Order: sequence, then structure tokens, then C-alpha cells
Amino acid sequence: MNTTLSPLIHLIDDDAAVRDSLALLIGTVGLRVQTWADPQAFLAQFDRQGIGAIVLDVRMPGISGLAVLDTLVAQGVDQPVIMLTGHGTVEMCRRAFKAGAAEFLEKPVDDEALIEALQNAVRQHVRSRERHQADRQARERYAQLSEREREVLGLIVSGLTNKEIGRALAVSPRTVETHRANLFAKLEAESLAQLIRSYATLADAAP
Amino acid sequence: MRPMWKTLRHQGAWLVAWAVLAALGGVALARQELARQREAFETDARIAHRLLSQRAVQQDAVLATLALLQPAGTAGPTAQPEQRLSSVYPQILEVQRRGPGEAWPVDIPAAQAALADAEAVSRQARRVALAVSHLATGRYRLVLAAEPHSYALQIDVATMLPWNEWPMPRDTSPVRLTLEQDGQVFVVQPGRIQEGGWRFEFHKHLATDSQPFDVFALRQVGWGELPWAWMLAWALGMAVLLAALQTALTQRAARRRAEELLRLGQVARLNTLGELAAGMAHELNQPLTAVLANTQAARRLLDEDPPELDTARHAMAQAAEQARRASTVVGRLRRAVERPDLAGKLSPVKLQDAVREALYLLEPENTRRSVAPTVQAPAQDVVVLADRVALEQIVHNLVMNALQALEQVPAGQRRLTLTIATDARLGTLAVQDNGPGIPPDALPRIFEPFFSTRPGGLGLGLNLCESLASNMGGSLVASNVTPHGAALRLSLPLSA
Repeated sequence: MNTTLSPLIHLIDDDAAVRDSLALLIGTVGLRVQTWADPQAFLAQFDRQGIGAIVLDVRMPGISGLAVLDTLVAQGVDQPVIMLTGHGTVEMCRRAFKAGAAEFLEKPVDDEALIEALQNAVRQHVRSRERHQADRQARERYAQLSEREREVLGLIVSGLTNKEIGRALAVSPRTVETHRANLFAKLEAESLAQLIRSYATLADAAP
Repeated sequence: MRPMWKTLRHQGAWLVAWAVLAALGGVALARQELARQREAFETDARIAHRLLSQRAVQQDAVLATLALLQPAGTAGPTAQPEQRLSSVYPQILEVQRRGPGEAWPVDIPAAQAALADAEAVSRQARRVALAVSHLATGRYRLVLAAEPHSYALQIDVATMLPWNEWPMPRDTSPVRLTLEQDGQVFVVQPGRIQEGGWRFEFHKHLATDSQPFDVFALRQVGWGELPWAWMLAWALGMAVLLAALQTALTQRAARRRAEELLRLGQVARLNTLGELAAGMAHELNQPLTAVLANTQAARRLLDEDPPELDTARHAMAQAAEQARRASTVVGRLRRAVERPDLAGKLSPVKLQDAVREALYLLEPENTRRSVAPTVQAPAQDVVVLADRVALEQIVHNLVMNALQALEQVPAGQRRLTLTIATDARLGTLAVQDNGPGIPPDALPRIFEPFFSTRPGGLGLGLNLCESLASNMGGSLVASNVTPHGAALRLSLPLSA
């Protein structure tokens, strides 16, 4: 397995014994763990690009886990966050989920629950990264289209035929055909269905 | 500065309230007195008017009788009965008679002419007529024309006044009463008329046409005649009443404040307890989390093929280490709740005072549940060594517990007894109720924290009392009494 691509779990807890034991437990299923004693150091230094998840203790000296969660969300960090707490009240749980926590677990935490939560979180993160990747690619390709090609794309997405598009834009169906070929090439689309799936939202959003 | 200003303003409000009440009451009393004076005045004036009218009419009647009788034919004592009238009616000074063709037998020509004129008026009007009126000097003449003889009377007003029936003390009455006619004034009673105050007047003609005099009564009520003593008494009474009210309100506020403080103290203690529990949870959760994670990791490591023995061994050692850590947390906690702080604050406290204070604060609770606590105490003071606040808290909690137990007893049969006693070493307070008592299986556990026989009870009240008592070197014992009910006996060392 390529280590740079395998998911990395960030574990933040001020208690060394908890940190070490949980890291050991998480390591037994082959996930890499980076432990942090200080939430501020974690916020300053951790790798925001990597694939993985964050395990955050609610009660820490200096800054609460919920405040760390708020900061992560505000900074647009997309790694899922699993909150750990000693005594979870309903109110705290509600706040955590509202703030964007992926999971909320009570200490002492059972190995199966923690590992399942982590694996879910990692899967979810990988999927969301892939989706983002595809989105970004689509956006980049769309940006290469000329003005007229975007108009043609919009009309294709609306379900018009070449003839109808030619009539709508006051050009010959032949010219429409050329535009169509160009934009299929630029967008690297292999079929009309794929074109519509990937670019319908972009075409709709265009003026 | 600010509280003082508030106090002043507060006092000011009371002062204004007193002033308004005193003024309203004073005005009402003054008005009542004035109304009474007016009524008395009018009654007196009416009576005076009636008496004067009666006399005036009497004179008419005398003249009419004389005219009817005419002089008898025979000479003798009956020939001229009119000459004896003065002895019966002292106001009649003279009686004149004029026979046919005679002149009126008076010396003064003016009087003679006046009598003749009046006789003419009388003849025409067929009634008694006024002839000469010197009302200012208190004399006048009346004439009645008749056949063959006409008669005239000279009247002295001063003698005519019916003093024996007069409604007012003639010399001391403040009412001025005069008879008036065309600017002539005869003072019947001088009265006392001064400047200022209230003026009552009474005007009325005498009830006969023959003597057209006005009865005029005047009464001037001066400022000095207002019921100042009553007004003062009222103002003082109001001051006393308001002062009492203010005191009562202040006392009630003080009681509320004291109750609030006590309640706050209780809440503060429970809060401390809550924080302690939360802290304990966190402190214990950390090692427990580590123990659990280590043991579970070790199991997984041992399950691997081949098993990772070294790492698993290390994990197990860590788990044991963390379990030891948890046990030190528990030990530390136990030492923390022993409250070493309380021992230093002990001072001599009268058990009687603590009981009185607690019962005073609980008076509303007692009243609401219609419970009248009985206190049995020895005559001499029982002074124990205690923290006053903690002691009052214990008494408060014990009484509250008893009151809650008594809610299951019909209102008329509720008994709550507080007994203070002492022996050579200890002062004791027993709080006994005739409620359902403590279930026998609950009795050994009654002081355990979070143990309650009451649904919804937190189970900390008696626990708190017990730990407070033991921290003061005392004890709290619970027992049941026959036929039913519970007794909680608090013992504290006597102050040396």
C-alpha cells in the first residue's frame, strides 16, 4: 500500500494514556494515526489535503473540542470529525451535530464502535474528495468553452435537437454540428448522457 | 450613596403616604365638625325663631281678647282688667284704650298720631297693626281697632324674650341673634363673632304680620373651634399604623431574604456536589477509556496471526497502570468530600436559637400544611459547638423532611415535635413526626447519597445533613416511632 495515500487519523486528546491507547487500538486495523496533545498545535500544523478523519476530545484545557470543531468547519476543513466525550449530554450532542460533527461517541469508547465510525468517516471522506475532484475537473473544462459553445451546451442540456438549436441561434445546423463536436472534445465527454450528467448544473448556472 | 438615596426615597414615600392620609382624615373630621356645628346652629336658630314668634302671636291674642271683652259696664276691679295685664305679661308695659270720640290717652303728640294712623290701618286690615316702633331701644306699640273701644299695647322687647325656654346659654353662646326692622337692630344675644373661619346665617320673619321683624342669627366658627385634638389623634394613629405596616413589610422582606439565602446555600452545596460528580466522571473516564482501549487493542493484537505479543504485553501493562490511576482518583475524591474546612469554623451556638430561627423561616411552610410544631426544651440554654449555618441547614432540612412526610397524614392529625435535650457530653435535637415513618428496608440506607424514598427525591438532603453533622463532630440517627412516624436525632458536642 502506498503510505502517502493511505488515510491518516488525527487524534487530539490532552491525556497521554488515552491518546496512546486509542492510537494503539486504531493502529490494529491498519489505519495510520497522528496524535496531538495540543489542539492549537493541531490546528496550526495538520495536513488539510490528506485523506482521513479527526478524533477530537470535547473536554480539553485551553480550548474545548466544540470550539476546535467550529474552527475546522469555519476553515472549510473537509475531514470528518468524530467527537469523544466523558459525559455526553443531549444538549452537547445536539450542538456537536449541528456544528458538523460526523459522529459523537462517549468515553470509555468501545473498540468496534470507534473503528466502525472511523472506517465510515474515511470512506465518506474519500467519496467526497472524489466528487470534489470531478467537480473541479468539470469546472476547468467548462471554463475552456467559447461563449457560443456554452450557449449550444445550454440548449443541448435543455433537450433541443441540432435543427432546433440552429433555429434558436440563427445559424445553420451544420455550424451547430461543429460547435457540438468541439464542445464534446473540450469537455472530454463520451456520450450525451455523460455530458448531461457532468455539466447540467454548470450549464444551468451559466447566464 | 445610592442605597442611602433609595432608603430616603423609600422613607419619603411612606412620609407622603402618611401626610396624604393625615390630611384626608383631618379634612373629613373638620368637615364633619362643621356640619355638626351648622346643624346645631340651625336647630337653635329655628327654636329661637319659634319662641319669639310665639310671644309675638301671644301679644296679638291679648289684643284680640281685650277687644272682644270691651270694658265691663260696672265699676270695680273687673272694670278695667287690662290694667292688671302687666303682672301676667311683664313685657306689656302699658295698655291704652280709646273710646268712641276720644283721643289716645298718651302724652306725646307724635305717638298719638302714630296710634291713630295705625288704628286706621288695623281697621282696614282687620288685624293688629304696628304703631310706633323703636326696635333699637326695644320698645314698640301695637294697635287693634275695635268697637266701641280700640286697644293699644306698649311692648318691651327685652322682657318679652323667653329666656327660660331659650335653647342657648344667653351670655356664653357664640351665636349672635338680633331682631331687625328697617335698619333698626335689637341685639337679643351678642354671641362671639370674630374674623376668619366659617360663617353660618339664619334669616326668618316672625310668624305674625303685626310685628314685621326679622330674626337674624349669625354664627362664626373660628379656626380654633376645629377638632384639632381629634385631627392630631388621627394623624398620630395613622403614623403608628403606617409604622407598624412598614415594620411588618420589612420583617417579611427580611424573612424572605433569609429563606432565599438558606435555599441558595443549599443549592450552592448541591452545585458543589454536582461539580464534584462531573469532575469525578471526567477524572475516572480518562483512565477507564485508556484501560478499555488498551485491553481491546491487546485482544486484537493477540488475535492476529502471528500474535503481536510484545505490543500486546505493553498494552496490558498500560491498562494496569491506568486502572491504578483510576483508584487514586477515587481516593483523592474521598479525601475531598471529607470537608476538612468545616472543623475550623465551629463556635458555641444555642440549640434553642437555631431551632427558633429555622422554625421562623419555615413558618409559611408550616402554615401551608397546617402543621403547628411543638418545641420541648429545657429551661437552661443548650449550647453546642457547631457551625451556625450548617446547624440551621440541618434543622431546616430535617423539618422540611418531616413536613413532606406529614403530607400523607390528614391535616387535622399532623404532629411535629422538636425536642431539645442534653446530657453530660452532648446536646441533642430530635425531630419527630407522626407520618408514615421510614420503610424498614430503607432505614439502613437512609443516609446514603442518591438514596431517596420519595419519588423524584434527589436523595441528597439527609446525606448532606449527616455529613454536615459528622463534620462538626456530631451524629445523626434515624429511627421509627410507634405507632407510626419517624424521628431523626441530631447529637452535637456541648460547648465546653
